[in-house]
Formats: sequence, C-alpha cells, structure tokens
Amino acid sequence: GSPIPVGIDVQVESIDSISEVDMDFTMTLYLRHYWKDERLSFHSNENKSMTFDGRLIKKIWVPDVFFVHSKRSFIHDTTVENIMLRVYPDGNVLFSLRITVSAMCFMDFSRFPLDTQNCSLELESYAYNEDDLMLYWKHGNKSLTTDEQISLSQFFIEEFSASSGLAFYSSTGWYNRLFINFALRRHIFFFVLQSYFPAMLMVMLSWVSFWIDRRAVPARVSLGITTVLTMSTIMTGVSASMPQVSYIKAVDVYLWISFLFVFLSVIEYAAVNYLTTIEERKQLKKKGKASGMYSIDAVQAMAFDGCFHDTDVDMDLTPLSDRSEENETQERAASVSNVDTTRIKRKRSLKGNVGKIILQNNHVIDTYSRIIFPSVYIVFNFFYWGLYI
Amino acid sequence: SHIYKKNHDVTKTWKGKTEQLLRVDDHDFTMRPAFGGPAIPVGVDVQVESLDSISEVDMDFTMTLYLRHYWKDERLSFPSTTNKSMTFDGRLVKKIWVPDVFFVHSKRSFIHDTTTDNIMLRVFPDGHVLYSMRITVTAMCNMDFSHFPLDSQTCSLELESYAYTDEDLMLYWKNGNESLKTDEKISLSQFLIQKFHTTSRLAFYSSTGWYNRLYINFTLRRHIFFFLLQTYFPATLMVMLSWVSFWIDHRAVPARVSLGITTVLTMSTIITGVNASMPRVSYIKAVDIYLWVSFVFVFLSVLEYAAVNYLTTVQERKERKLRERFPCACGITHSKTMMLDGNYSESDANSLAGYTRNQMVSEEEKQEKMVVHLTMSNESNSSRNRGLKGHVGLRIIQNTHAIDKYSRLIFPGTYIFFNLIYWSVFS
Repeated sequence: GSPIPVGIDVQVESIDSISEVDMDFTMTLYLRHYWKDERLSFHSNENKSMTFDGRLIKKIWVPDVFFVHSKRSFIHDTTVENIMLRVYPDGNVLFSLRITVSAMCFMDFSRFPLDTQNCSLELESYAYNEDDLMLYWKHGNKSLTTDEQISLSQFFIEEFSASSGLAFYSSTGWYNRLFINFALRRHIFFFVLQSYFPAMLMVMLSWVSFWIDRRAVPARVSLGITTVLTMSTIMTGVSASMPQVSYIKAVDVYLWISFLFVFLSVIEYAAVNYLTTIEERKQLKKKGKASGMYSIDAVQAMAFDGCFHDTDVDMDLTPLSDRSEENETQERAASVSNVDTTRIKRKRSLKGNVGKIILQNNHVIDTYSRIIFPSVYIVFNFFYWGLYI
Repeated sequence: SHIYKKNHDVTKTWKGKTEQLLRVDDHDFTMRPAFGGPAIPVGVDVQVESLDSISEVDMDFTMTLYLRHYWKDERLSFPSTTNKSMTFDGRLVKKIWVPDVFFVHSKRSFIHDTTTDNIMLRVFPDGHVLYSMRITVTAMCNMDFSHFPLDSQTCSLELESYAYTDEDLMLYWKNGNESLKTDEKISLSQFLIQKFHTTSRLAFYSSTGWYNRLYINFTLRRHIFFFLLQTYFPATLMVMLSWVSFWIDHRAVPARVSLGITTVLTMSTIITGVNASMPRVSYIKAVDIYLWVSFVFVFLSVLEYAAVNYLTTVQERKERKLRERFPCACGITHSKTMMLDGNYSESDANSLAGYTRNQMVSEEEKQEKMVVHLTMSNESNSSRNRGLKGHVGLRIIQNTHAIDKYSRLIFPGTYIFFNLIYWSVFS
C-alpha cells in the first residue's frame, strides 16, 4: 500500500570527541522513532500506553534506520540493551534507542586553527526506499534537542540544525535522508598559548642579536642558531597532532614566516661578520709594520675567547720596551694615517664612509636591521590577523 | 534394576525443577511486575570496586562496581518450608523480567563475562528478587582545569531506567546514604578521593516524560607532588639559573648570551611537555600562569644583557672618540689584558695605567695620564650638568654595570613576590 511515515526525534547527549587525524566525530544520542502499526493496537479503557524493554523488538517490525558514512556505532547494552518500546492502544509506537556513533566529517584545514568545521550525521533507512518508508523529522526543526551540558573543550558549538533530503542510488532508487548538521568553531586560545606566542617570542629573541656587539662572534651565532632550533621544535610539535594534508594551513604560514625571520637574522650576522673581515683585511694591508704585532696579539686574543679585535687594538699595541719618541711618532703616524685614510676615503664615495663607519663598533647593517626586522614583522602580523580573523 | 530406576528418578526429579518451581513458562515476563498497576519500586545498592582511571584528555573516568537491584515480583514466588532463597546465575535473566537500568552519559560499558557472565539472581520464596552484576563503565565528567594542577574535580555516575518512567518504575537508594560502599583499598595514584555520596533526582525528557535518576557523586583532589617535581621545580631552577648571568662579568659576551638563550630553550621545552598530556581548553590554567611568568623572567634576563652590552658599546664609542682627541700611552698593559679575555678593556687599562715596568715614568706619561683623568673628570663634570647619564657613564667604567647590580636584587625579589602571591591564591 502507501509508504509508512516514520517520524524521527533526536536528543543529542554529548559529542564525545572530534578527531582531526581521523577526520571523524563521535556522538552519543537518543534516537526515537514514531510510527503506527495497526497490528499492535489493543483494547484499553484508559488509553494508557504499554512500555516494554528491548526484548519485544525481536518479535515485531521496527524501521531499519542506519547512519550513512558512519565508521563505528553501537547500541549501549548495560545493563540491558538501552531500548524502549511504548505501544499505544491505537497502534502508535514509540521506539527509542541510545546509540554512540562515530561518523566521517570532511574537514578543511586551510584556516586551521582559526577554522570552523561543518559536520553532519545522516540517517536513512537501509532497505525501504521512498515508496515504502517515508522518514521525516517529527517536529520539524525542533526535533533536534541537546542536553544543556553539551560542550567540547576545544570547540564552540555554533548551531545545531535538522534538514532532510532525498538520496539517489542508481541500483536501488530514491531514499529519504535526514541530516543533523552542526557547526563547530575552534577556540584559538590554546593555539595562541602553544604555538603563536612562543614563535613570536623566539623572533623577538633573535632581534636581541642586533643589539649585541658584532665582535662577540660566538654569542651572536649561538643566539641565532638556538632560536632557529627552538622554532623548529615548535613547528614539529604542531604537526604531530595534525593529519598530513596537501595544502598549507594558517598556522603553517605563521610558523614558517617566523622561521624565515629567525633564519634571516642568522644570515644577517654572517653578512656582518664577512664584511667586517673584509674591512679588517683592508686595514691590515695598510698597516704594514705594525701588522705583525697585530696579528700575533689578535691570534692570541682569539685563542682565548674567539673575539676578534679591530683597529682599536692597533693603536694601542706598541712594543713594551721602547716608549720612545719614535714609537709615539709612529703612533701618531698611525693615527694620522688613519685619519688620512679616512679623509681619502671621504673623497671616494659613500663606500668610504661605510668603510669608516665599519671602524666603529656598530655595523650599518645592524643599525638598519634593528629597525627593519621588527617593523616588517609587525606589518606581517597585521596582515595575518586581519586576513584570518 | 534399581540402578536404572535410580538414574531415571534423578533425572526426572532434577530436570524440570527450576521451571516448575518458578513457573517461568506460565507468565509473560516481557511485562513488568504489577503491569497496569502502581509503579514498581526497585531499590539499588552499589559497591564500588575500583576507580580505574581518570582521563583529562577525554574528560572521563572509568569505574568498576557491583550493581544490585532489589524488587518484588509475585510471579516468581514459590512455596517453601524453610524460607531459604534460591540462587541462580546469569542464564535465568533472559527468561524473567529485570529492570533496565542504564548509565546516563556513559561512553562505554560492559558486564564482565569471565568465566561466565558475572550475574547473580537470588529469588526468595515470597517473590523478592536480588539481582547483582559486575560492571565496568566509562562515563563523562565535565572537568574544570582553571586551577590545574591544584584542582578538585567532582564527577558523578548516573543511573536511570531506560524504558520505564516515574509511573512505571521507581528507582531509589535502598539504604539511603549508606547504599554506597567502597572497597577499603580503593585509591588512585594521582588523586585523593575525598568523599562518595548518593543523591537522587527526577529527569525530564520532552518526548518521553519524567524518569527517576540516581547519582553516585565523588570528589577527587589532585596530588600536586608529581607536578611540583615535574614542572614547578624545573621551571624555578631555570629562572634561578638565568640570574647567574647577572653575576658573570659583563665582558664575557658568549657566556652570558648562551646562558640566557639556553634557559629560554629549556623553559620552552618544559611548557611543551606540560601541554602534551592536557586537553586543549580555551582558558588559562594555573600551571600555565606559572610557566609563562617564569618564561617572561628568563626572557627578560636575556634582554637585560642585551641592554648592558649595548650601553657598554655606546660608552666605549664615546671613550674612543675621547681618546682620539687625547692620545695617551695608557695602553701598555692593554695588550696583556686583551690576551686574558680578548675583550675591550680600556677601563682596566685606565685603572692599571699606574702599572709599568719602566723606570722611565716620565713626566710626559704622568701628564698624559693626568690628562686622561682630567678629560674623564671633565667629561663627568660637564655631564653632571646633563644628568644621571654621565654618572652612569662613569660607572660603566667599573667592572660591574649598574643595570646588573640592580638586576641582582630586582629579579629575585620580584620572582619571590610572584611566588608568594601565586601559592597563596591557588592553594
């Protein structure tokens, strides 16, 4: 005859877990079916219903609803099967089950962790198509109720809604399908504390290197390389709990750009060091006689702590024995020649000025970096947070 | 023969005894006792065997308990002269009616079935039934971690009948508050179980009506010792280690920088380690506050040394400019000091300028020295008009930087103060 209408009512007890790695969610719900079977009607004076537990369902007909795209599901069976059957005198039946189901949810992580996921649980009859069984939401959109305490630690449940549609299978026909849709918005606080904040601190720590004297080679190198190592550890920590997707995620963008900044600070110091060495060589060529003394002491000094000394040392390194006019003259000559060289350089171009500036303790690249790196990083932050939030 | 007769008698006597006695086939046990009449009261008694585990990441707990039901079913009464009860195992359960109690908010549960189903049924001659089973249930517990690890969690296990509402089945605690017993040895490694108590309430379902619900509530207080050893103590040690840097000579650049940066790295590792075993909550936990404030302290010690280094370099540049105007022979011992630590050490040379092997401490030299001192004092005089900056400049000449001196007192003092506030707020 005509298809039997079966009303569905769902009360969601809890959303147990959302797994990014498996791309699924686990939900526990009370699933209630309402239909009319006249074979079950009985005489009654008071019009009261009869309630039975699960053992009666083996003897009567019940709808065969299943969850499409579910991975695992089970009806709870402690202490007995959590099934209820309530039969009314006119043959209306209420059939209620408590089920935990793990269903697939396709997640898009391109904006992780500032993302919103839409998941849905789909109910359908397995055997009866539209001509035999019509599945519908009993109270329309209000058929879906949730327990008050439903909450997830990592997500904010934005909305629960019910919808229905028809599904076509080429082999078997059209089936009614009911959807339980919900949207989950991720709380970002945990990721801010775990990933963004440490990354930002590491980048700031790498800027400290620009303020340290460029002659302290081991200090600046170890500062730069340790911040690179910590950034690398943070990045590995984030990808451990994520599926291996083929596109870049929002958190990846941030971490990789911060890594780039830290990397560039190491490269910047390599450039500073290299250019300083070149300048040293030029100074060396000009010195001539004093160069021998210079190299001895420089080597000895470097043997102790690895810092190299620039022309500052030259001026002061007179032989211990002769404090004579000759030496003083030489000193003055050295200082004069220095001044001369600087004057000569001034004629050449800015390059000469750069050369003169290099004589000071500060390298010009450092001075510019102190301003450029922080400001570019701040601009990047504005763009990033403006784009994703 | 009589042996055959005996066998025949025995089997005949024992075969149908149970069914005959309990008349199981005479009644329809799919209907509850007193069907159509008043609600049947079912008393519940629980003995908790153990709390197996509490999981923060899943926010649930696992408990093993003996669950006992007491009710009266007159269809099961049988005549007896001695008034003794009959005990059966789980195979009779399928044939008679039993209450369908379930655990609300449970994730997984099962009745133990080794070696057979752990179910006991005891029927008294007047129809009273005792139905006992051994169950392990994993149930949800909403945990609040804002005080973690100095927190207390309150969890509860809820029992309810699945099919029968308040009008059909009344669930109640058989002995009131003493219905809940625990084994003496019940203990958890990480928690102290403060109290177990029972309550009962009514729960309303819009589609199905009012149900009796029984609660088993317990409070767990976390032992903090493990976290002290694992997290708080290493963090405190790292902060103290970063203070060592203030006592090291500010001229030892690689030493101070690597000390600072390695303590930052270790703090970062400790922080990552704590978050690995925690759920991803959206609020800050007590342990987070401690670790991040300690991280800030360690970070600031690195910044402090960057400031010291920078200011020393600035001062050195000023001195060099000064010396260019007044070249002096005060570098005699300069090379020697450079050999020792390889760092700029004009200050040392200045103060050691008196040291010379030569007898030819000429007037010129002394004059130059005096000139240097004069220039220095001139500079400080003129800078006194400028402000404190000059004094700081004068002090930089000494071995200890002023910022270091202040930091040696300020950093430990502030950290101790923070500790006092933290432990008094959270304990």
